[in-house]
Amino acid sequence: MKKKWFMLMFTLMLSMVLVLAACSDEGSDSEEADDETPDTEDEATGDSEASDNVIVLNNESEPTSLDPPIGNDQYSYDVLNNMGEGLTRLAQDEAVPEPAMAEDWDVSEDGLTYTFNLRDGITWSNGEPVTAQDFEFSWKRLADPDTASPAAQHSYWIAGAEAFNSGEGDEEDVLVTAIDDQTLEVVMENPTEFFPSITAMPQLFPTHQETVENDENWAGSIDTIVSNGPFKMVEWDHDVRIVLERNEDYWDAENISLDGVQYEMVDDPSTAYQLYEDGTLDIVNMPADMKETLVESDEAFVAPRAGIEFQRFNVNEEPFQNQKIRQAFNYAIDSQIIVDRIIQGNENIADGFVAYGFLTPGGDDFRDVAESHYPYDPETALQLLEEGMAEEGYDELPTVTLSYNTSDEHSIVAQAIQEMLVENLAVDVALENSEWAVFMEAQQGLELQYSRSSFLGGYNDPINFLTNFTTDNPMNRTDFSNEEFDALIDASYEEEDADTRFDLLLEAEALLMEEAPFVPLYFYNHTFLYKPEVNNVVRHPVGFVELKYASLD
Amino acid sequence: MLKFIGKRFLWMLVTLWVIITVTFVLMRFAPGSPLDVDDVGMSEQARANMMAHYNLDQPVIMQYFNYLKNAVTFDFGPSMVTRSREVSDMLASGFPASLQLGLVTLVLAVISGIILGVLAALRHNKMIDYVTMFIAIIGISIPNFIQAMLFIQYISTQFDFFPTAQWGTWRHAILPALALASGPIAIIARMTRSNMLEVLTEDYIKTAKAKGLSNFQIVVKHALRNALLPVVTILGVLVASIFTGSFVVERIFAIPGVGQYFVESITNRDYPMIMATTIIYSTIFIIMMFIVDVVYGIIDPRIQLHKKEE
Repeated sequence: MKKKWFMLMFTLMLSMVLVLAACSDEGSDSEEADDETPDTEDEATGDSEASDNVIVLNNESEPTSLDPPIGNDQYSYDVLNNMGEGLTRLAQDEAVPEPAMAEDWDVSEDGLTYTFNLRDGITWSNGEPVTAQDFEFSWKRLADPDTASPAAQHSYWIAGAEAFNSGEGDEEDVLVTAIDDQTLEVVMENPTEFFPSITAMPQLFPTHQETVENDENWAGSIDTIVSNGPFKMVEWDHDVRIVLERNEDYWDAENISLDGVQYEMVDDPSTAYQLYEDGTLDIVNMPADMKETLVESDEAFVAPRAGIEFQRFNVNEEPFQNQKIRQAFNYAIDSQIIVDRIIQGNENIADGFVAYGFLTPGGDDFRDVAESHYPYDPETALQLLEEGMAEEGYDELPTVTLSYNTSDEHSIVAQAIQEMLVENLAVDVALENSEWAVFMEAQQGLELQYSRSSFLGGYNDPINFLTNFTTDNPMNRTDFSNEEFDALIDASYEEEDADTRFDLLLEAEALLMEEAPFVPLYFYNHTFLYKPEVNNVVRHPVGFVELKYASLD
Repeated sequence: MLKFIGKRFLWMLVTLWVIITVTFVLMRFAPGSPLDVDDVGMSEQARANMMAHYNLDQPVIMQYFNYLKNAVTFDFGPSMVTRSREVSDMLASGFPASLQLGLVTLVLAVISGIILGVLAALRHNKMIDYVTMFIAIIGISIPNFIQAMLFIQYISTQFDFFPTAQWGTWRHAILPALALASGPIAIIARMTRSNMLEVLTEDYIKTAKAKGLSNFQIVVKHALRNALLPVVTILGVLVASIFTGSFVVERIFAIPGVGQYFVESITNRDYPMIMATTIIYSTIFIIMMFIVDVVYGIIDPRIQLHKKEE
């Protein structure tokens, strides 16, 4: 009897001891870490933070991968952009490419051949030199079907890369060649005057050949990761934080003011906001439900981001095969109300498809030069709907279902639009939501008649947005196909002259808007809070957070 | 006893196989694919290459056998979402946090649950009884994520002693453990109370009293022991769910545990991770059931594990 009781008590004691042991163990771990990284307590007391000179931001989640061709999302590239570096880098003031790993470059007469000259003395974090061969290896790896890169299409600018990626061509036919250690020659598929912007993308960052060949998962651990950028990794506590410190061997190290960068991984937006309030974080995303008041605060950082919230029609499904009916929906929806009452981040409403932030050769914003389409106009909307219905011989509009992926915000926006359509067009739209993966598959499979959508630009050119609606583009998802539009896009790819190319793009956008395979709603904004001591954190409309120029007061 | 364990072990394997198979089938019937989760406008070709890379282009039956092989060898390969890390590494690095939090929660829940329950029973229909049961009802009716948010808002911002969130020292564990434990405390307290009330009216308690035993001895040695039997039953289930982390509470407190993998792997259709979490959860669950059965025998010798063996 007693013995059994004793056993029970013993088990209980044992588990308590385990807990205590485990906890105290954790405690000592974090004390060790305190020496090299700012601790929450230090920051809560205030003073020590500035002297630490380490900026703390929230990455929300563990990076998908810090391997350039694999990560392909913001969680990965917000980190990688500051750990690595491509041939070029977007400048501090404007999103134009500046020399980075490359000191300069030459373009051939026909615009097809780029020759990049690498800087002297650039090195990897393991001390070895960064060579043109590393770039050749990395770009071919991006295109290699065995790499299975979700970002492979960013290699397609290079002649032969698309064929290699599809398994039809060979690696040797990908025309990127290291002439010598410091000279990289690239032959393009088309004259691509914005290629130096493309080379600033993390997808095209170099990787250290030997490291990659030794270990497929080299980028998953601090022990094997090798980088070449302004900061290098000193701590990686998976799902907790990544700490970078200034890379003293970086070619421009003298112009970096920060001692380091610390990325916390706090998924929950309101917890992250609390951590900003208590001083743990220097920068945080505004929680959606607090935007209304926060955008007005002194600590707000609000700036355009190259992305758009819009709705797709399936143009081969009734009633949206009719252009006038599609246009009627465009006129009937008041995006300003959606921005003012629901999204509340001071976003610009979308009067076209290409977002703000892309400069024409003349230095103007593409959006300002382009035509403005579909102002809110219920009368025109109703008239177009009636004409469209007459054309199709409808007495009554076939049932319309608006689909969206499950989220509070999308649900409110959908309800607001449902209300506008009833009021302005007397069309009663049904709403339907499904989980993201299910929704995505249905949208890609053209199963949705009318659905919410979004697009985030990846590189610094309007073609990035417009090319989505060429026939059979994987981002098309509307079944829209227009020969004239396809021809304009193709011509723009082949055009050598920048001004003419932009004219083609303007024409293409106007045509696309006239055809209206979608309803543009609003362009995205960056909506962050920065502590007053944070300076020069660069967020361009495209690209990822840039901390090279940042400083703390 | 050995025979009993052997038999149970075989049943455990069969159960696991059934679970793996059912999960696989359900997973494949669910629409959506792990490759669609980040909507980056992948080219058709890039998509096809990824399908091949993750063997998703093979016939489903082949994929099923691969899965079984992976399950047996415990090698689930890289996650389809966190692409540079192996599923087993991710779980291994997340488990310590979930386990520590789970243990604190469990100890808190069991000790305070039983104490509250006993107190309430001994002072039946008196003030203490009402107060403890009121606390229990609050604990069970306010969801733990709401408690978690209230704790952050009203406790950690007021007292520097409690960190707002994140993980590291033992102080980080207190508030999340409290949020996680309040439900189980309520369940255990209510169960202990009603069982105690029942047991306290039994004849042998009267006998013990007549023998002149002290109140403490009666309660601890005679009453509590019988009252705990049903509590042990639910403890098995509780342990499995507590040790595998809590998605919501871990997320709110930004704790790097495994709870997130159990939930997010499903919305992300991260097949290898779904399989790994399923196997781990069911294994813990089945083992706990086994332990519970053994503990029954210890607490109540009338329960025979190996009946009719003589």
